[in-house]
Amino acid sequence: MTSTLLQTADWLFVADNLGLLLRGTAVTVALTAASILLGFVVGFPAGALEVYGSGLPKRAVERAGVVLRGTPLLVIIMMLYFVVSVSDSAFATATVALGLRSAAYQTQIFRGALQSVDEGQLEAARAVAMSRFEAIRHVVVPQALRRSVPGFQNEFTIVLKDTSIAIVIGIGELLTTGQNLYEGGRSTAALEIFLAVSLIYFVLTFTTNRSLDRLSDRYAVPEGTA
Amino acid sequence: MTQPLLDIDDLYKSYGSEDVLEGIGLEMDRGDVTVLIGPSGSGKSTLLRCVNQLTDIDSGTVALDGTDVTRPEADVNELRKQVGMVFQDFNLFAHLTALGNVTLGPRKVLGMDADEARERGREHLEQVGLLDQADSYPAELSGGQKQRVGIAQALAMDPELLLFDEPTSALDPELVGEVVDVMRDLADRGITMLVVSHEMGFARSAASDIVFLDDGEIVEHGPPEQLFEAPEADRTREFLGRLETEHEGTP
Repeated sequence: MTSTLLQTADWLFVADNLGLLLRGTAVTVALTAASILLGFVVGFPAGALEVYGSGLPKRAVERAGVVLRGTPLLVIIMMLYFVVSVSDSAFATATVALGLRSAAYQTQIFRGALQSVDEGQLEAARAVAMSRFEAIRHVVVPQALRRSVPGFQNEFTIVLKDTSIAIVIGIGELLTTGQNLYEGGRSTAALEIFLAVSLIYFVLTFTTNRSLDRLSDRYAVPEGTA
Repeated sequence: MTQPLLDIDDLYKSYGSEDVLEGIGLEMDRGDVTVLIGPSGSGKSTLLRCVNQLTDIDSGTVALDGTDVTRPEADVNELRKQVGMVFQDFNLFAHLTALGNVTLGPRKVLGMDADEARERGREHLEQVGLLDQADSYPAELSGGQKQRVGIAQALAMDPELLLFDEPTSALDPELVGEVVDVMRDLADRGITMLVVSHEMGFARSAASDIVFLDDGEIVEHGPPEQLFEAPEADRTREFLGRLETEHEGTP
């Protein structure tokens, strides 16, 4: 294989197959969005439970987190599909796998953010007769969400690229679609395909991180001691 | 008719083996301004926190307007609607503007609608001289301004009793005056205040009662002229002597 960067024919091949790559991109985006959402819906309360909970629920969340964070994603996804069979749909299974793993990571992002809001504010909220739940909801959570954006940007990027592991249960997302294009000697455009795929990942990462930055700026409050 | 607004009776509190409060009894009538003084570690702040139940008591009772608020079935949030607190470290909500800080309690706890809460919040900010800072965030305010927002925040709940936990201790000396002025104004307007502070200027001019606390006990309790000019207990005299040398030149 003597492909160089400037082989026009190979780039034309990529261009011809852009539709396929974009279809793969759609799968990647859908899988990422669903997994991040599931990760948030599970991870945020779990993070709150780790900070404010006690007893069995707190311990259960902590242990589940350790297991999920300590197990390779490949193992989680295969276990869920071939052993536990959570769903006949590979997409649903991949979402659950990526979502639960993301939940475990997001739990830690939110735990750190919640703990970073100083205790005095919680006490002041209690002193104006808010219940503990109200105080956490109206005073701690709004500040914690702002502080979780950087960690969340990382997590999004990780999930986006880890969606490629879904091929082990047959999901052809972006990276796999790209590989299929040259596999079996169907094309010499391997390098060009990889570059194109990387560019698409980059655009997705860049635009999402930029959007989160904007969101963060929009709700930013002056920093310093209160 | 003569029922005191606040009636603390035989209050005990310990942390582990350390006894912090040992049988405190204290009454306050409406409009009273009681200043708690005493060495650090004497239990002043703990006593204050026992009044609004931020700290649980071990035994004894705290009654507000004749209602025992320390009985197990009492709703602590009902109590806290009646008793505001101003903290040493301000503890303002960092993500909210000054006005947001002042309106959060009335909106979320008292169920006031946003417009009314804002209107009243502006009045309270005006009362502490900070209407022009209504849209500033805590991080943009000086210590004295933060503390005045803290006072407005407590006032906004329209409490029966205001607790002040060393409200000027975290302030640079030149900022103490603006906070003391606001407190003096509240005292003049007849607001019932229980204040932990060593601001002698405030204690002398605004207090109706001074309580000297040492080692978890009330050593002496009386009007400022008596307690400052003619203290009865040796411990009081000693403490006041030390305070004077430390605070030389304080008005």
